[in-house]
Amino acid sequence: MIKFQKVSKYYKPNVTALKDIDLHIESGEFVSIVGQSGTGKTTLVKLIIAEERPSIGQIVIGGWDITNINNREVPYLRRQIGVVFQDFKLLSKKTVFENIAFALQTCGAPKNKIHHIVPQVLKIVGLEEKGDRYPYQLSGGEQQRVVIARSLAHKPKLLVADEPTGNLDSINTNEIIDLLKKINKLGTTVVLVTHNRDVVNSLKKRVITIDQGQVIGDQSRGRYVL
Amino acid sequence: MFSVEFIRVLKFALQSIFRNFRLSVVTVVIIILALFSISFLSVFNLLAQHVMDMVENKTNVYIDLTANATNEQAAILIEELKKLSAIQEAVFITPAETLEQFKERHQNDALMLESLEALEGNPFTGSILLSVYNIDDFPVILNELSKKDYAQYLEIEDREFTDSKLLIEKISEYSKKIQRFGLAISLLFLLISAMVVFNTIQVKILTHREEIGIMRLVGASNSFIRFPFLIEVLIYSFVAVIILMILVYPLLALSQPYIDNFLKEYSVSLVSLVNHNFFLLFGIQFLAAMVITIVSSLVAVRRYIKV
Repeated sequence: MIKFQKVSKYYKPNVTALKDIDLHIESGEFVSIVGQSGTGKTTLVKLIIAEERPSIGQIVIGGWDITNINNREVPYLRRQIGVVFQDFKLLSKKTVFENIAFALQTCGAPKNKIHHIVPQVLKIVGLEEKGDRYPYQLSGGEQQRVVIARSLAHKPKLLVADEPTGNLDSINTNEIIDLLKKINKLGTTVVLVTHNRDVVNSLKKRVITIDQGQVIGDQSRGRYVL
Repeated sequence: MFSVEFIRVLKFALQSIFRNFRLSVVTVVIIILALFSISFLSVFNLLAQHVMDMVENKTNVYIDLTANATNEQAAILIEELKKLSAIQEAVFITPAETLEQFKERHQNDALMLESLEALEGNPFTGSILLSVYNIDDFPVILNELSKKDYAQYLEIEDREFTDSKLLIEKISEYSKKIQRFGLAISLLFLLISAMVVFNTIQVKILTHREEIGIMRLVGASNSFIRFPFLIEVLIYSFVAVIILMILVYPLLALSQPYIDNFLKEYSVSLVSLVNHNFFLLFGIQFLAAMVITIVSSLVAVRRYIKV
């Protein structure tokens, strides 16, 4: 599903965000990428969604070489990847249903398709009864579940979650992690980027550890070791 | 699929207009000011052209025949003159007609009429009334006539033509000066409106940054993200031209008495002048509005929307 070959990313003037990254994530895997702040985790996510291009190396997502992806092709890549960020806000003037529908509307989905998909993803995240609520009427955990539902709207094969529990308490964190596990069980590859030790340790899944822009550990049933 | 996307782009554009309505109004007003200066310049050009055409059309030269020229000779001469491509019309005026015209012209001048009575018979010779397509051809034609064999029957006097030519040159000179001034004002307004549109789109993009961020993340196409802003400025242009059309006619009606007073017999109905050139005039306005709004919004979109 994701293949990084000798990928490095440099920023001017002399900043090395990632160096010689070799990664291979299989389809259907649940992988945690851990590391302290500023180690290059978010850069890795940006490379996966083609918000940044690698300085050196090759990136292949789902068989598609996106190393030098054209700007026009980026939207088509992003429709195949669900992305959840810690701080990605919902549109406050839209209801839960409308927020998810917005993701489909902007990609040209017809109305009947939208009315078919939105209830489905709301059901997956357990918010089927709250489609007509506004974001301010939901808890933090529920809001993040709406964001996950929105990321699932295109039925992606890959879900990348960058610190999805960063703003949540432990109860909501567990709910979100359970939801990600559920989505993974449904067949979606999940890449969880986090520095939450408890979350990683409780998952008992593959853990890739990054430090100072380099992969320093890759364990199939790993723990947070930093 | 395309129509669904187009309707959504249009919807987002309208939402953007109404979400920051005051800014939209200011933008339209500035575009109207720019277009108004272009309208002024265009109407002025049309008016100046009209006056010059009228002066040209009214410029006729009477070429007097010599006393020994007979009517038959005059008829032959007219036939010859008509063959010249530069000549629009050549009409023979008999001595009797010249006398009638003179009396009519001086019907309120008793002294002149008494002097005429004192003379025995008709003191006038016949003449040829000559009009040309282009006033600039007069010197060439008159020069030509002086050289030919029939010059012996003609007494060429070109003062009247010279007066008209001077008048046209004067109008042309003033109109060029006003055109230059109008062009400078128009360019200034165009520049200001381009800057205002740029700032408006910049503010609109900032207002929509959350939506734009989400659109990018979920895979909305670049054109879908950018088009609403272009549609928005097209709507501004369209509304500005419509409002301009509504404003122009009362302003023309208000200016009409001043134009009549200034141009006297050369005056023209401004409304009919504009109506006659309606598509040209408002086509130019719409084109100018589109160019300034689309170019400036494209620059803003390229600069502030990273895709």
